[in-house]
Amino acid sequence: MGVPGEGLAKGLAVTLKTMTRRSHTRQYPDVEPDLPPRSRGVIALLEENCTVCMLCARECPDWCIYIDSHKEEVVVPGAARARQRNVLDRFDIDFSLCMYCGICIEACPFDALYWTPEFEYAEYDIRDLLHDKSRLGEWMATVPPPPPHDPNGEPSKEETAAVKKAAPR
Amino acid sequence: MTAADVLLLGLGAVAVGSGLLVVTTRHLVRAGLYLVVCLGAVAGLYLVLTAELVAWVQVLIYVGAVVVLLLFAVMLTRAPIGASDDLDRPGWPALLVGGGAGLGLAALLVDAFRWTKVDLPEAGTAERLGTEIFRSWVLPFEVLSVLLLAALVGAIVVSRPDIGTRE
Amino acid sequence: MPLWLELTIRVAGVVVAFLTLPLIVGQAEHKVMAHMQGRLGPMYAGAFHGWAQLIADGVKFVQKEDVTPRAADRPVFQLAPLVALVPYLLVLLVIPLGPDDLVGQALDIGLFFALAVVGVGVVAVLMSGWASANKYSLLGGLRAAAQLLGYELPLVLAAASVAMAAGTLSLPGIVEAWEPWWLLWQAPALGVFFIAGVAEIRRPPFDMPIADSELVFGYMTEYTGLRFAFFLLAEYVGIVVIAALTTVLFLGGWQGPFGDDYLGWLWTLIKVFAVSFVIIWLRVTYPRLREDQLQRLCWLVLVPVALAQLVLTAAVKIAT
Repeated sequence: MGVPGEGLAKGLAVTLKTMTRRSHTRQYPDVEPDLPPRSRGVIALLEENCTVCMLCARECPDWCIYIDSHKEEVVVPGAARARQRNVLDRFDIDFSLCMYCGICIEACPFDALYWTPEFEYAEYDIRDLLHDKSRLGEWMATVPPPPPHDPNGEPSKEETAAVKKAAPR
Repeated sequence: MTAADVLLLGLGAVAVGSGLLVVTTRHLVRAGLYLVVCLGAVAGLYLVLTAELVAWVQVLIYVGAVVVLLLFAVMLTRAPIGASDDLDRPGWPALLVGGGAGLGLAALLVDAFRWTKVDLPEAGTAERLGTEIFRSWVLPFEVLSVLLLAALVGAIVVSRPDIGTRE
Repeated sequence: MPLWLELTIRVAGVVVAFLTLPLIVGQAEHKVMAHMQGRLGPMYAGAFHGWAQLIADGVKFVQKEDVTPRAADRPVFQLAPLVALVPYLLVLLVIPLGPDDLVGQALDIGLFFALAVVGVGVVAVLMSGWASANKYSLLGGLRAAAQLLGYELPLVLAAASVAMAAGTLSLPGIVEAWEPWWLLWQAPALGVFFIAGVAEIRRPPFDMPIADSELVFGYMTEYTGLRFAFFLLAEYVGIVVIAALTTVLFLGGWQGPFGDDYLGWLWTLIKVFAVSFVIIWLRVTYPRLREDQLQRLCWLVLVPVALAQLVLTAAVKIAT
């Protein structure tokens, strides 16, 4: 049992305290938002890394990645015969379908896809949300550097593997 | 004619006109609203006659409470928008009684005073009314308050059948 | 100074107060409420921290279509906002700003006048609620009428206590008779008057008649454009009026720590805005009362407290 009216007074105190603190509003169009580096804004494509393995398109849950390619013969000097190489003709992501799960980025074995925090690509026509490979390539400039490793987290797999290799010697 | 005369006549006309509308209109709620106008005009008459306190008591009690209660009750029970054609009011007897009483009183007053002029008494301020009520009119005042109290208690008893019944 | 000139100046002063004070209070409400909720509130209109937001709102309201529902009772529906607004304008006439007759119109029974005229506001609520031909409006109007009728009683009783203490019904007279120790002695009446006043202008937490989560917007549901703006303006003038009456009756009006004679108007304004701030503060802090809690608070708490205060006032008055 407290003093009668204690709760009422507490309520008043809470609102008064909140008033003296800074507000949480982000004034977005005037001030650029300060997004964390892993924000899922849009997917960028690093075309040189893509081998047209199609893993991303297959893993995509709502099938919003469209890939076309053709094979080219590349004559490598000194090699016995010409090598075959996949050349990417079309790499589109339909952001009107994409649900930003990031499975394509996880699935890519060659680090050709990246998240970037850019989010200002709204369109008046839904068809314009289909980004082709040149548009996806433009987003590469906005990919933030990977955040530093958390000093308290467990070490990366590469590091533990290196230590293991080095240990028996 | 002075400005006060014009005001008196104008307010009187408004009061009588809206009073007539109260009893003749077929719109139930509007009748209550006309009553507001009527009582407001009467309050205005009091003001012109320098009975300030009575005027504002009229506004506070009649406009602010009695008519509101009336409207409230009408709206809670039956208050269609637009005219109600199924009102069964005894038009002729009411006209006879109301008109007769009104005209009779008017004739009586006009006959009694003719063209004698009565000066306005000193203004009916709260102070003067207080002195009057609590000096010369204490007994009627107290009797009235006891009457009102009895009415209040009676209303509570009538509206609460669970009071006073023995199980 | 000829009489007509003085009258014109006085009325013009009251009209200016009527048009500016509610806007200042409204803007303060936007900002205070926002910051109490960790927001910023309006920031764009008028460039500097959205100071012109309410003016922009006004322009918007004027441009909007004035809709009257087909089933509505047209004249009553259209008249209601004015009936809601005018009483408050009249009350501002009698509220003294400072000593030496710095008041719109000094009335001998100013307190009585103010209470009587504020009471007329109920008629407007009933008119709008009924004439809208909308069940939510009607429910809101009936709730408002029940609330206003109930809270009128503690309001008048609390005001009567201070009038008894001062021995006058004139508002400047009450301020003159006021002494700082009345703050203590009249504290229950102050509380009752303030709470009943907030309920009288239907401000949260007493906004059961509007209750937007259940009644859409109560008796204002069908109103649009300028008529709706009138209702909103009436609400903000209501805040000013209740704050001013509280100031004049219980907080000593123009009496301040120094310079009552030439700074009186400033003390009055400061107190009015402080009380308005508390009204806004209450709105942000507390949830809406349920209808039965509302009536219970009025009849079982406020009325007995007000009656006890009357007895206390009479006892002290006789003893001294």
